[in-house]
Amino acid sequence: MKRLGYSDRMMIICIYTFLTILSITCIYPFWNALVVSFNEGLDTAKGGITIWPRAFTTANYEIVFSDKNLLNAFFISISRTIVGTISAVFATALLAYGLTKPYLIGRKFYVLFFIFTMYFGGGLVPTFLLVKSLGLMNNFLVFIIPSLISVWNMIIFRAFFKSLPAGLEESAQIDGCGNWGTFFKIVLPLSGPIIATLGLFTAVAHWNDWFMPTIYIFREDLMPVQTVLRRLLNANLVADQMAGFDGKTAELMAKKALTSKALINATIMVVTLPIVLVYPFVQKYFVKGVMVGSLKE
Amino acid sequence: MTQAMTKQPYSATPPDPGLVGKKSWLSRLFKQLDIQLMVWPGLLLIFVFSYIPMYGVLTAFMDYNVFTGARIFENPWVGFKHFEAFFNAPDFDTLLRNTLIISVLKFVIGFPAPIILALLLNEVRHMAFKRVVQTITYLPHFMSWVIVGGLVMSLLSTENGSINILLQKLRLINEPVHFLSMHEYFWSILITTNVWKEIGFNSIVYLAAIAAIDPHLYEAADIDGASKFKQIYLITIPTIMPVIIIFMILAMGSFLNAGFEDILILAQDPGLRPVSDVIDTYVYRVGLQNQKYSYAVAVGLFKALVSITLLTTANYLARRSGNSLW
Amino acid sequence: MKKLKKPALLILSSVLLLSVILAGCSKKENSTGGASSSPSSSASASPDSSPSASEEAPAGWVFGSEPLAFSAYAHYGWLDFPADMAQVPFWKYLKEHKQTNITAIQAKGNHAQLMTTMMASGDLPDLIYTDRYHPDLNRLYEAGQLVAFDDYLDKYPNLKKYFDKKYLDILRAPDGKLYKFPNWYTDHPTSTAGYVVNKKIYEELGSPPLVTMDDLYNYLVAVKAKYGEDIIPFEPDRTQDAQGIGLIYAGFKEGALYQSLGAMLLAVPEGDKLTSIFTDPAFRESQKFVSKLYREKLISQDMFTQDRGKVQEKILTGRVAIYAGSGVTTWGMQGDMELKKKDPNAGYFMVWPFAKAGLDPKKIYAGGYDALGWNVSVITKAAKDPEKIFAFLDWITGPEGMSVQFFGAPGPDGNWDGLDENGYPNFTANYDAVEVADIQATNDPVMIAGNSSYIDKAKAKYEDTQPLENQNWAARWQRDITWPSSNDITGFRNNLEPPADGELGDIRQNTLDLFLQILSETATAKSDADVDRILDAAEDKAQKLGYQKLIDWRTERWLENKKILGD
Repeated sequence: MKRLGYSDRMMIICIYTFLTILSITCIYPFWNALVVSFNEGLDTAKGGITIWPRAFTTANYEIVFSDKNLLNAFFISISRTIVGTISAVFATALLAYGLTKPYLIGRKFYVLFFIFTMYFGGGLVPTFLLVKSLGLMNNFLVFIIPSLISVWNMIIFRAFFKSLPAGLEESAQIDGCGNWGTFFKIVLPLSGPIIATLGLFTAVAHWNDWFMPTIYIFREDLMPVQTVLRRLLNANLVADQMAGFDGKTAELMAKKALTSKALINATIMVVTLPIVLVYPFVQKYFVKGVMVGSLKE
Repeated sequence: MTQAMTKQPYSATPPDPGLVGKKSWLSRLFKQLDIQLMVWPGLLLIFVFSYIPMYGVLTAFMDYNVFTGARIFENPWVGFKHFEAFFNAPDFDTLLRNTLIISVLKFVIGFPAPIILALLLNEVRHMAFKRVVQTITYLPHFMSWVIVGGLVMSLLSTENGSINILLQKLRLINEPVHFLSMHEYFWSILITTNVWKEIGFNSIVYLAAIAAIDPHLYEAADIDGASKFKQIYLITIPTIMPVIIIFMILAMGSFLNAGFEDILILAQDPGLRPVSDVIDTYVYRVGLQNQKYSYAVAVGLFKALVSITLLTTANYLARRSGNSLW
Repeated sequence: MKKLKKPALLILSSVLLLSVILAGCSKKENSTGGASSSPSSSASASPDSSPSASEEAPAGWVFGSEPLAFSAYAHYGWLDFPADMAQVPFWKYLKEHKQTNITAIQAKGNHAQLMTTMMASGDLPDLIYTDRYHPDLNRLYEAGQLVAFDDYLDKYPNLKKYFDKKYLDILRAPDGKLYKFPNWYTDHPTSTAGYVVNKKIYEELGSPPLVTMDDLYNYLVAVKAKYGEDIIPFEPDRTQDAQGIGLIYAGFKEGALYQSLGAMLLAVPEGDKLTSIFTDPAFRESQKFVSKLYREKLISQDMFTQDRGKVQEKILTGRVAIYAGSGVTTWGMQGDMELKKKDPNAGYFMVWPFAKAGLDPKKIYAGGYDALGWNVSVITKAAKDPEKIFAFLDWITGPEGMSVQFFGAPGPDGNWDGLDENGYPNFTANYDAVEVADIQATNDPVMIAGNSSYIDKAKAKYEDTQPLENQNWAARWQRDITWPSSNDITGFRNNLEPPADGELGDIRQNTLDLFLQILSETATAKSDADVDRILDAAEDKAQKLGYQKLIDWRTERWLENKKILGD
């Protein structure tokens, strides 16, 4: 190991310190949410819960998992994320690759055609009417087809592909590979980091989307996790301006209202943990030196 | 990202000389059908899902009645009425000023921050530590603004808020400060929270870019005796510069998007409006809560026009460095 | 053309296959849109020979005599009708005993945009449940999408029996017809606004008088002197909406309405006119008082920036001396229960609203109630059998429907069985208070045609048989303080909202924005002179925004209301 210079050592210490502090601030809210989710609702409302539960309970999770739609919702969310991500990443990458060729006729027009849509759009009603007329209402494909092409991702893919050394392509062509072949056999395999990154972004977007189901899905078996849990929360939170309640009812409703914060945190954990855990798996694609040895200079 | 390895410009020599030059346009097209076929499905999808609904933009110039659905021409044409209403909003100049200032601040601080984080992480040799930090810093992105806002408000509260308690203990202040109500602090609170929330997630792209750098370059620099700092400055940054530039261009295009949910949550005190109200929060209050559909579309159109202008300018400037969108 | 490589093709096709399969499963039941109003099977011709609940002719369709199916939608971001009728006792009963099949259209949190898509595509639900003056109701009305039920009114007994005719007239649309079926209409006060006092602190300070604003001030000073930072002397709730500190405003003038600070009115009644809130002397005085409390740290310093959870926290842990708001009984009761767990002598109680010295306390109102209740149901043109849906609503609001909603299914095994000669339920020996509470709480989202006039008496019939100790905190203070200290503000809460599209709608929004801003600025002002300065500037600005026009328009509508109500 090479001996580090003094200034370098100072820098390393500062970096480690800073990263540790940053990590603590980043994990605290998440940890706190986890702790609160395991704390009794009534006790939580009295405040003061920070890094450990004061009145431990699994009741909040019992409420969450008692929803019989939850299992199916997970299935839908996971399917949507997997199918949606793979198809979108593939479709967008293919498009981006085609657009990198300078001899592509109409290239400039095509690129502007796509970029224009990043800023100008018809809005909610025309899009809705279109999706409806395509028969995508209440259909799993509404999660997949409209989002196959992300212009943003396309731009990034394109930039990445352009930066690959031309030599690679040439040797592939010489070996008799066509453009499609080059794409599948050379370009894609070398795009590990970028596919991992954009795949992650796409997966997160699919998993977190709550908007589309609200206007396109009206059948229980297609409801994703976000929606099911949001409904659960609504059902358990009490509007405190309801007239006409007193007596024992108010007491019971009061109890239900008190569980809200703890319940909210339990749903957050259930919804967030799956997608958060994807990142560590993706990290292995950020491997250094993936390009080494690919070109013999 | 690997341009350091070779000086060859990309695909200067096209595979088939017959594809450029004097042959007719149509036959050239025919020859490159395989490439065109890569692009046409994408074109079709975008055409269907983005261009067909685009007639909705015209509703900005009408008094759109939602019940007419797609038959928008049944609505009365009002020209620039909604745009005028928007420009004549009370305190419009304050709105614009807030939007621009917040945007600039978010860019100046929020754009470099993830890059710096990626650079710092790159210096970490301990793989386990690095992975853990990467994963943890990306968590806040998944917390909703409601939760993050609640935490920030708790932290800065005058009654038992940690920050006030700390400052008082350190004898820097005598009395708790009303951070959340004072105009002077709002922008700092907003920007800091924003940067903190997104720094980890936004750094992922740069981490991916850095990962593609050939480690031999660093080894060579070490042998030459370059300090870490110099290595970052001379190797890492130039190599990921294309990525940075692309993102910078794209960021230029979002200049009028100063924020929305974050401001709604952090600016609870209506007394803060002179510094916290931006275009999007105003339109939400006035336009969307009252279902003023055409008004919202008009403002959106205005923002889009400004964005496209900024984007084009940024792209033009970036062309000189060789990295542009088109 | 070059060949595609096989492995990639395999991956691609399996992904596509998977999505096609999933799509295929969903294609089987491809409904056409947001609102699938299933036609009611066996649509018979209008029946009028079936036995009716009252002797008056002509009789309408008997709810439950034939199958009825329709779609229902709750236009709220925080409330959805259940997707499965069996999830809620009341709808389960409807399905099993009244041959009713309700398909719930759910907003799932995104009601505004869902409504927009339903209006644009023409797929409206049969029944919509929402706020009485929601701008979308106005849009539906203007587009002719609502069904008027004037013709049905005489055929069905309950609504016209329990809902005063003059209130019906207030509910009429500009064309004179009735479209809205009210929920929780009432003939007695329902307000739960007031001041809640921490008992232990009060006793420790010697139980001083708490009648005038000066008493309040002195009390808060004493609290601060004794407890320092540990106790918040005065904790207002929902300050951003002018609720907590609105009570103080009401104490500075006899007959002052704290609704004058609310979005729906934003003006002060003076004789036969509405005048500007910005120039109102009582408002100036009360804001000067509030800012004085703020400067001396006698009122929560975070009142504009804390979330409600924090307020609740402080109440539950006994860290407030006085808590004020427009709906204090829920947390007051919870706080009382919590504090009594540790110390049976602790807890909270309520006091009559504070009044400025010299004013008659009986004319100080902490809150108001609206005889028309809270929200409404409307029937759209999409409904195949609007009259039957009206019959359904009418049944719900009647004795039998209300009793099922509140006490469960009737029968010897249930909590009630049959109605007595006055129409109130006969409670059985099996009456289980805990079960009843649970039923009411679970049925809450589907109680869309509530009749407070009836149900409060029915509940009282049971409660009155209970010894005094069992009557709970909320019930007691409602009876003793919050109901008597509220006034009838029906005239001020109806028809005073201008259409959202249009000049008045803009003025309304702009003046509301202005008001909320100066509310915060004056409540935290540095001096009395500042309060005057801010309010003078606000009045100027409001006038420039067209405030006077809005006030004049609202005055007209208010006077119309008064005429109808016979005030």
